[in-house]
Amino acid sequence: MSDEQARLDGLLASRSAAVIEGIERIDPDHILHLASSTLKLVLDHFITGPGADGRRVFAMPREEEGVAVTAGLELVGRRPLMIFQDNGIGNLLTILQTFPQPYHIPLFGIVTRRGGLGEYNSMIHTISERSESIVDAAGVRYFQLDARTPLEYWASEIQRAWTFSRTTHRPIFMLVNLMGG
Amino acid sequence: MASIMLRRAEVLAKIDAGFPTSPIFLTLGGTAREMLAMAGRKPNQLVNLDAMGQTVSIALGMAVGLEGRAHGERVIAIEGDGSLIMGLSVMSTVGHLAPRNLVVFVLDNGVYLATGGQPTAARDMDFAAVALASGWAGARDVRTPAELDDALAWSTDAPGPLLVRVFITTDQIPTDFFLEDPAILAEDFRRWLQHEDAS
Repeated sequence: MSDEQARLDGLLASRSAAVIEGIERIDPDHILHLASSTLKLVLDHFITGPGADGRRVFAMPREEEGVAVTAGLELVGRRPLMIFQDNGIGNLLTILQTFPQPYHIPLFGIVTRRGGLGEYNSMIHTISERSESIVDAAGVRYFQLDARTPLEYWASEIQRAWTFSRTTHRPIFMLVNLMGG
Repeated sequence: MASIMLRRAEVLAKIDAGFPTSPIFLTLGGTAREMLAMAGRKPNQLVNLDAMGQTVSIALGMAVGLEGRAHGERVIAIEGDGSLIMGLSVMSTVGHLAPRNLVVFVLDNGVYLATGGQPTAARDMDFAAVALASGWAGARDVRTPAELDDALAWSTDAPGPLLVRVFITTDQIPTDFFLEDPAILAEDFRRWLQHEDAS
């Protein structure tokens, strides 16, 4: 393994650990996840690791269904959290704008970035690098975690973003870059 | 096969009477408006104003979240055939999560009635077979008033998740538009749940 690859693997591991810590601080009772290779370390922690204890963790086939189920859980007073990749943002816009947003239902999503430096898919950037523009156009509030934010603050920023979704009664996304950059 | 004789408004009135204290989540369009016309505005009933294709998914979240709570013994979703097909992946998710309190009524008129009656693909689908193959606890078709009464009694007690496909005519009753602020709808529903929790 080259030094550069080792650096990137270490980055993925340390950033994934920070995301896990942030989610654990929120202590959700339900975690809904979509398929993602960059999220493997995070998902492993919650699907088969210690993060599975005491909570229900399950896969969603589509982002729109994930938002719908999450909103239903929120409506009845649960603490759900949804984890997915940014290339799925297009799938959830209609449900987001027709249910949790206008019904003032808080909802929190961890959204991992794809399509940037280190990307191995030749196409995914066409949707992923427009993620901010898409959610901006939809009026969805989001925050970002990447190299600009020191890693030691990631967990608390994730927790603060979740709280912000309660405070402002609306969906909030945290865009996290696990691949470097 | 019996001819279709059930009208949506009559079916809705029976569901309302059968589940007066259960959370009921209604699909959009004429279904919601006819329920409001038949039953009036009820605190236990929440209307999905426009999230077509996701009524069962939202109700699924509610059912999973309410499992084990007193007023969560039954969570009712009232869906249409066209909307269910739009979000059909939820059939597998319901079977996977298997909430024992979820009952889904699919009112099947075979068309997108609210937009002019364009046909859906439902006539070539066996929703009950899909549900059972996906792990639901029970599913049945309803074509007559007697079958509807039996299904309502069954869905009150049998362990879920349950699917009841009710074949209905395309008859509609006159209704007003429903123009309530969705934020108020959600808050009213939450406060009803909180009151039920406290009582």
